[in-house]
Amino acid sequence: MRALRIATAALALAGVAVAGYLTWVHYAELQPFCVGGGQACERVQSSEYAELAGIPVAVLGLAGYLAILATLALPDALGRPAAAFLALAGAAFSAYLTYVEIAEIHAICQWCVASAVIMTALAAVSVARLLDVGLDRQDRLHTRAR
Amino acid sequence: MSSRIEQKAAARRRREALEAAERRAARRRRSLIQLALVTVAALSVVATAIYLSRPGDEPKAAVTTSFAGIPQDGIALGSPDAPVTLVEFADLQCPYCAVYATEVLPTIVDRYVRPGKLRLELNVLTFLGDDSVRAGRVAAAAAQQDGLWSFSDAFFHNQGTENSGYATDDFLRETAERAGLDADAVLAERDGEAAAGLLGDAQAQADKLGVDSTPSFFLRGADGELEPLEVSDLTPETFTAALDEAL
Repeated sequence: MRALRIATAALALAGVAVAGYLTWVHYAELQPFCVGGGQACERVQSSEYAELAGIPVAVLGLAGYLAILATLALPDALGRPAAAFLALAGAAFSAYLTYVEIAEIHAICQWCVASAVIMTALAAVSVARLLDVGLDRQDRLHTRAR
Repeated sequence: MSSRIEQKAAARRRREALEAAERRAARRRRSLIQLALVTVAALSVVATAIYLSRPGDEPKAAVTTSFAGIPQDGIALGSPDAPVTLVEFADLQCPYCAVYATEVLPTIVDRYVRPGKLRLELNVLTFLGDDSVRAGRVAAAAAQQDGLWSFSDAFFHNQGTENSGYATDDFLRETAERAGLDADAVLAERDGEAAAGLLGDAQAQADKLGVDSTPSFFLRGADGELEPLEVSDLTPETFTAALDEAL
């Protein structure tokens, strides 16, 4: 379980970095750096889908990653379902945004893809933590020791 | 005696193993229920958020916010006091015009138009085919509502395959709605004299200037003369370099 906690922290920190950069770019009114040039990132960031109820999606992402990070400080009984809820919601919303990029905006923002991959990985890790993956083995060892 | 102790120990081990298996099963059931509840809650929250924020719920919303707060007047975008006007000739079906509109225009708008340094004019040509004519008429009608730039922006972001017949009434209506226009009025006015006149003026000016491809660009300064703006490719850097030199 320790490995899953470390993976959650590492992924959440990577997500904070990506979403933090996009948040900074948004409020500094800069163009996001797009590998290979082009305006795809700017087009996505300036589209009507870049905000949800008036809140920039980048800010929502940043808040989500920070919240997942914060769940690690909670007792396991509360922290694990909370992390799974946040990560699953984040992954579902990332999937929707990726669909929008492809089908509606016709542009792919590399930062958004990076965030979607991180959030999906976080969802997988959080579900594994919730399902106590690895605990069966510990239980067996515990029983054998007795 | 020894045998009896061994039997007891074996029974205890069996009982403990059984209890451990039950504990594991109970924990697994609890975890699965938790996962199901968490998944349903997460998907419900996201579905609600998406439903409430979908642009379709706000028919007046433009496809992008690129032109928010910038005045549109007929075929023009930007302050009438801007010292220089960038005059563009475009066919709504032209793929390179879409590249310019989606990849270059946002930079020009933010850097020159929004600060009032440059005004833009869009002359819509309809020489590529029937879809160009149908789209051009609606664009000209959109100009009557001072929404040509919003319409062309929405169109270019959803441009279809050239002359595939995609510029149907439904497509054009949806595009007008995405641009935040009164779609019924725009479609009703597309066959009017004003719209036809606007397209006729654009073609006449293109003929006069010798425009033989789209997009083509000209700069109009204080003297009112149109000078060709030569650009080697459709990138923001090329345009900003040329405009920085001209302004």
